[in-house]
Amino acid sequence: MDDAVVQFSGVSKRFRIAQTHDTLRDLLTYGFRRLLQKRHADGPSAFWALSDVDFAVGRGEAVGIIGPNGAGKSTALKLLAGILRPDGGKITVRGRLAALIEVGAGFHGDLTGRENVFLNGAILGMGRREIRGKLDAIASFAGVEQFLDVPVKRYSSGMYARLGFSIAVHVEPEVLLVDEVLSVGDAVFRLRCLERMRRLVQDGVTVVFVTHDLTQMQSICPRAIVLDQGRIAFDGEAREAVGRYMNAMSRAFAGRSPDFAAPAGGGNGVVELLDLRWMSEDNKETVWIGPREEVRAEMTLRLSRSIRSMVVELNMRSALDGSLLSFNSGRSGCDFAGEAGIQRLTLTIPEIPLSGGQFFWNARIWDAESGTTLLDTPFRYPMGIDDCGKATGLLSLEHHWTLEAMSPESRPPSFIGNTVHAGGVCEDLSVR
Amino acid sequence: MPVRAERNITFFSELPRLWALLPVLTWRDLRVRYKQSLLGIGWAVLLPVAMMLLFTFVFTRAIDGALVLDLHVPYSLYAFAGIVPWTFFSTSLNNCVNSLVANRALVTKVYFPREVFPLSCIASALVDFAIALLVLAGLVVYFHLRGDWTFVPTRALLFFPVILVVQTMFIAGLGMLLAMANLFYRDVRQVFSVLIQLWMFISAVVVPLPQDQSPWAQMIALNPLVPLITAYRDAILHGRGPDLAGFIYTSIVALLLLIFGWISFRRASFRFAECI
Repeated sequence: MDDAVVQFSGVSKRFRIAQTHDTLRDLLTYGFRRLLQKRHADGPSAFWALSDVDFAVGRGEAVGIIGPNGAGKSTALKLLAGILRPDGGKITVRGRLAALIEVGAGFHGDLTGRENVFLNGAILGMGRREIRGKLDAIASFAGVEQFLDVPVKRYSSGMYARLGFSIAVHVEPEVLLVDEVLSVGDAVFRLRCLERMRRLVQDGVTVVFVTHDLTQMQSICPRAIVLDQGRIAFDGEAREAVGRYMNAMSRAFAGRSPDFAAPAGGGNGVVELLDLRWMSEDNKETVWIGPREEVRAEMTLRLSRSIRSMVVELNMRSALDGSLLSFNSGRSGCDFAGEAGIQRLTLTIPEIPLSGGQFFWNARIWDAESGTTLLDTPFRYPMGIDDCGKATGLLSLEHHWTLEAMSPESRPPSFIGNTVHAGGVCEDLSVR
Repeated sequence: MPVRAERNITFFSELPRLWALLPVLTWRDLRVRYKQSLLGIGWAVLLPVAMMLLFTFVFTRAIDGALVLDLHVPYSLYAFAGIVPWTFFSTSLNNCVNSLVANRALVTKVYFPREVFPLSCIASALVDFAIALLVLAGLVVYFHLRGDWTFVPTRALLFFPVILVVQTMFIAGLGMLLAMANLFYRDVRQVFSVLIQLWMFISAVVVPLPQDQSPWAQMIALNPLVPLITAYRDAILHGRGPDLAGFIYTSIVALLLLIFGWISFRRASFRFAECI
């Protein structure tokens, strides 16, 4: 891409795991050992955080970088910001760059909010006059107007973070790098941050956004890059990227033995869940569904002995909240008798009318007669729901709209339209 | 395995940012240092004055006639004219040593030219230096009026800015090296805190150096700080220009140190974030 604002060409970054000498004594002992041993250029002590990564971001584009922990997302961002230097490849950044790796990095606790705005603004690349002009806007966006002359060490952590974020989004950079900082503040503030970022994108700012909040990422970035173990696993449309990421995550969960394969939590090991996969209506494996799509859970169980009657339960929860959904075979009136050996158990759900999010499932099986728990997995089976922005709020329900012309005589007697105002009702209630 | 590694950041593309940030971080250093302290910037006056009183007491009262100095100026003035530039030197370097480590959050989370950290330490010490100079001027006037000694303003005072520039170059080069070394090995700070004490006593700060030809005296003569401190005293108190041979020697050392220090700092600065 010739008009790329941000360009990574074959970028690699290596970290040394061992062999850091914080004191001279370490260096001396290390140097002595090195004399006795042969030198390994990158033996087990080298760790490639990124290897041969290529991508380009055009002017005004917003790109999300997603991936599991340790995939190299933050390393990529720090390389972009210039904090780290690559061990191979070439990085080009054109234009004024502001990197939001950590909100309030460089705040000094002893200085007041106002002083820190000037300090942090300058660190992020603003001039003095520019900061003075924006001071009011920064303070009111962060909601700390009354506390501008208080040292930030007396701020609450929320105020601290809001002020830090507010400064950064007022920098008006040409390239904005954001690393997982939108999780600060309350819901209202987060919403305002997202609005602000969306506006920056509309104004033609190039945004590179690293986050674990896939919904948030999708609301800003049309394009996403999936990093996995330092390599690009996918680069393209955000929705597809999220789907692939969820798929990869479920594979990672499944393959992460032994602690995940073992009957963690409860369960006596009589029943083993070999596999749980989500199948779409057209029989394709999926982890990313729409709210009105039918989905089937296909479980492969191994029973070490026959069970005359068992109860199966599948539970769904989101990452932050508790249990959201639960399907229990006993309460549904099913009585399963399982032979020893491999069994296939299927649960069909016609729709999950949630407006979106990432969720995790677990499976539990009891012996209905003795009540002993035969299987109890952790919440390790992911599922993503996305209705492509058709609904906001928690649910996405079937609904219909109509509009029709009415003749005057069929109009119902109106008592709402005339004089009742909101306060009136409350007053009546309080008198009673 | 990839061999070529590039990032489009160059020395010259960084200079404007360095220049813009230097006053801001200097202001922060000063602000933080004197905040929540009763005397505030008054410490810039009080510390060198206290040192002067201490050495005056030691060398003119405590040691009973052991040190008979033929200085041509009152001892207090002699000592203070050495202590002021010395304090600039030692304060700058003591702060430089720790400057990168103390700003760990900035080094690992934000990018800008890292030279700002040691250089802003020097700049804030320079502010203290300016204040202490006013006190020195006051002392000169005081002793002149008291009649112990006569101040004669000469053109030698014009050397003052030249000496200051050479001293600042020397400090900047050494300061960058120390800051960088301490980032990789924290021992540097401890070792330096001892060395700087020793350095003071071989730099003609409060007592003139022995003028004999012993091997010790010859080694001390290599100390580039001696011509600097002496040059200050010559320009201000004695109305004469610096001893040229010594001063040129110090200037060359300062220039080389600055070039070497800055280049090494630049080259290593990309490793700072991961090694700190």
